[in-house]
Amino acid sequence: MIDQLLSILVATLVAGTPLVYAALGELVVERSGVLNLGVEGMMLTGAIVAFAVVAATGNVWLGTGAAMLAGMALSLVFAVLAISLQANQVAIGLALAIFGTGLSAFLGQAYVGTALVAEPSALGGLVAGLPLVGPSLARLHPLVYLSWLLFAGVWYLCRRTRAGLVLQAVGEAPAAAFAIGYPVIAIRYAATLFGGAMAGVAGAYVSVVYAALWTEGITAGRGWIGLALVVFATWRPERVMLGAYLFGGVSMLQLFAQGQGVAVPTELMTALPYLATILVLVLISRDSTLIRLNVPASLGKPFRAET
Amino acid sequence: MPGIRGAAAADVLKVGIIHLAAESDTGWEADQKRASDAMEAAFKDRLKTTVLWNIFPPQDNERLFRQLATQGNKLIFGTSFSQYAILKKLAPMFPDTRWECCAGIEATDNLGVFEARAYEGTYVTGIAAARMTKSNVLGWVGAYPVPQVIYSLNGFLQGARSVNPDIVLKVVWANAWIDPAKEKDAVAALVAQGADVISGSPNTPVQALAAEAAGVWAIGSTGDFSNYVKKAQLTSFVLDWSPAYIESVQATLDGTWKPTSRWRGLGEGGFCKMTTNSPELPESVVAEMKAAEDAIVAGKLHPFAGPLKDQSGKERVAAGAVLADADIRGMNWLVEGVQGNLSNGG
Repeated sequence: MIDQLLSILVATLVAGTPLVYAALGELVVERSGVLNLGVEGMMLTGAIVAFAVVAATGNVWLGTGAAMLAGMALSLVFAVLAISLQANQVAIGLALAIFGTGLSAFLGQAYVGTALVAEPSALGGLVAGLPLVGPSLARLHPLVYLSWLLFAGVWYLCRRTRAGLVLQAVGEAPAAAFAIGYPVIAIRYAATLFGGAMAGVAGAYVSVVYAALWTEGITAGRGWIGLALVVFATWRPERVMLGAYLFGGVSMLQLFAQGQGVAVPTELMTALPYLATILVLVLISRDSTLIRLNVPASLGKPFRAET
Repeated sequence: MPGIRGAAAADVLKVGIIHLAAESDTGWEADQKRASDAMEAAFKDRLKTTVLWNIFPPQDNERLFRQLATQGNKLIFGTSFSQYAILKKLAPMFPDTRWECCAGIEATDNLGVFEARAYEGTYVTGIAAARMTKSNVLGWVGAYPVPQVIYSLNGFLQGARSVNPDIVLKVVWANAWIDPAKEKDAVAALVAQGADVISGSPNTPVQALAAEAAGVWAIGSTGDFSNYVKKAQLTSFVLDWSPAYIESVQATLDGTWKPTSRWRGLGEGGFCKMTTNSPELPESVVAEMKAAEDAIVAGKLHPFAGPLKDQSGKERVAAGAVLADADIRGMNWLVEGVQGNLSNGG
C-alpha cells in the first residue's frame, strides 16, 4: 500500500514537472503584460532540440541548455513582432504555437521512434539513503528538484523583491513605469525570453526525461495546459504549483483507478485531471475582485513610449 | 464491377497512398510502409507510386484523395480507419478508381477493405505471457476502446487463460494513440498494481522501455521492439499488409480487381506475423506458441470459442460455438478476467 502511494507520489511529481516549468515561465511573461500563447510551439521545439543534442552527446544538461536557447530564439521572434513591432499578441502567439509544432516535426523526422538510454542521476545516489521515501525520490530527475528552485525563485521575485514590483508595474501600467524611468520594452523582452527558456526546459524534460523517446507532437498539449494553468491560478506562483501537481496527480490516480477496474467510463477518467484542476483553482480563486486585482491590467496590450 | 475497366497490361499503373502520420521506423505507419515497399519491389516499373505522409484528417485527406484520383491514380490506398468515411464518400464520385482502405468497415461498389485479425496474434503472445508471469497479473495499455483494441486485449487474455485460468488482465486506457509520456505512466501504474507482463496497443517502443526500466516483461502487439530493449521483450507479432497491397495491384493489372473485405490473421498470406522470440522464453513455451499458431491457422482453434463469459459473468458464446466475425469486429465487451472498463461500463 505504502509502495503504491509512493509510486503515485513520484509519478505525480514526474507528470507535473513540465507543467511547472511551462506555467511558471509564462507567469513571468504575463506579469510583464505580454501574452505569449506560443508555449506549446516553444516546448516542442525545445523538446526536439534537446532530444537531438542528447542523442548525439548523451548529456542531458547540454540538451537542456540547447532547449533553453531554442525556446529563447522562438520567443525572441515573438518579442520582435509583438513587442517592438506591436503586432497582435494573440495572433503572433498562435502563429508561434503552430510554427513551433511544425518545426519540431520537421527537425524530428530523423528521430522518430528513436529512444534514449536513461542515465542514473548523480543526485539519485544522494537521496537514496533517506528512510522510506529515499528509493522513490532517487528515481526523480534533478530537473524535478530544479523546478522547485525555479518556483522558489519566481515566488521570491514576485513577492519579495523590487524587481518583482517593477515587473508588475510594467504589466499593470507600462506608461507610468516608463514615466518614472523603467525600460518597459527591455523588461518585457527579458520576461518573454525567460518564458521561452522555461518552455524550452519543459519540452526538454518531456522528450529527454519523461518519455525518453521521440514522436511527433510529443508534448501532447501540455503547453496549452500550462498556459491555462496561469490563468486559472490567477497569476500566482503557489497556485500554479498546486494546479500543476493536481493535474499530474489526478492524471496518475485515474490510471491507477482504471487498473483497479473502477466502474467509471474511461473517457470521463481521462477528462478528470482537467475537470479537477479547473474546479479546484476556480473554487480557490472565485473572488472576482481578487481576480481583477491579479490580472496584469495591461496584459496583451502593446506599449508605445510617448515622448 | 460496373464502370471499372481493367488496366491495359502495358500501361504503368499509378498507385496513390495516403498516411495520416509521419513516416516512422516503428508502429502502424512503419508496417504500412514495409508493405507498400514490398509492393513496389514486386512490380517495379510497372507501377508509379505516389505516397503522401502526415496528412491530417479529414479535410486535407479528402482534398488529397480527390487530387490523387483526378491525377489518374487508378488504385488508391487509405491506410487508416479514420479515412474510411472519406473514402466511402469519394468512391462513388470516382467510379473508375479502385479504392482500398486498411481497417475500413465494409466494402462498397469500388472500395475494398482489409484488416488484421490481431486477436490471433495476441492469443499466441498471451500464452508466452501466461508462462512467464509470476504474479498472474498481466497489464494492457490501451490506446482507445475501439473494437480493434478490445478484441486484441480479449484475445491476449484468452491465450493466457488457455494455459492458466487464474490469470487476470488489468487494462488502463491512455485515450491517445501517441502520448509516450502517458503510456509510460500507464505502465508504472500497472506495474505498481502487480502486473509483471505488459503489452498494449499504442505502438511506440515506450511500453517496452518502461517495462525494462521497471524490471518486468513486455510483449509487442503489432510491433516488434526487440531492438529497443536489452532483455524485456518476450515476444511480439507485427502486422504484415504486403499481401493486401500486392494482391490488389496484381488484380488491378490483371483486370480482375473486385472490392473485397479481407480480414486475415496468422498464416500464409495473412496479415499477422509472429516475430522475434526472446532467448529468455523456454523452448517448451515457444513450442506451445507454435502449436497454438498452427491450430489457429488450421482452423482447429478459435480464440473466441465457447463457453465464453464476459466480465460480468454473462455467457456470450455457448459451449461448442465460436463468436461470429461480425460480433468480433464490433466487439464492445471484455472477457472474463479483465480488470478495467470500457466507456459503456461493460
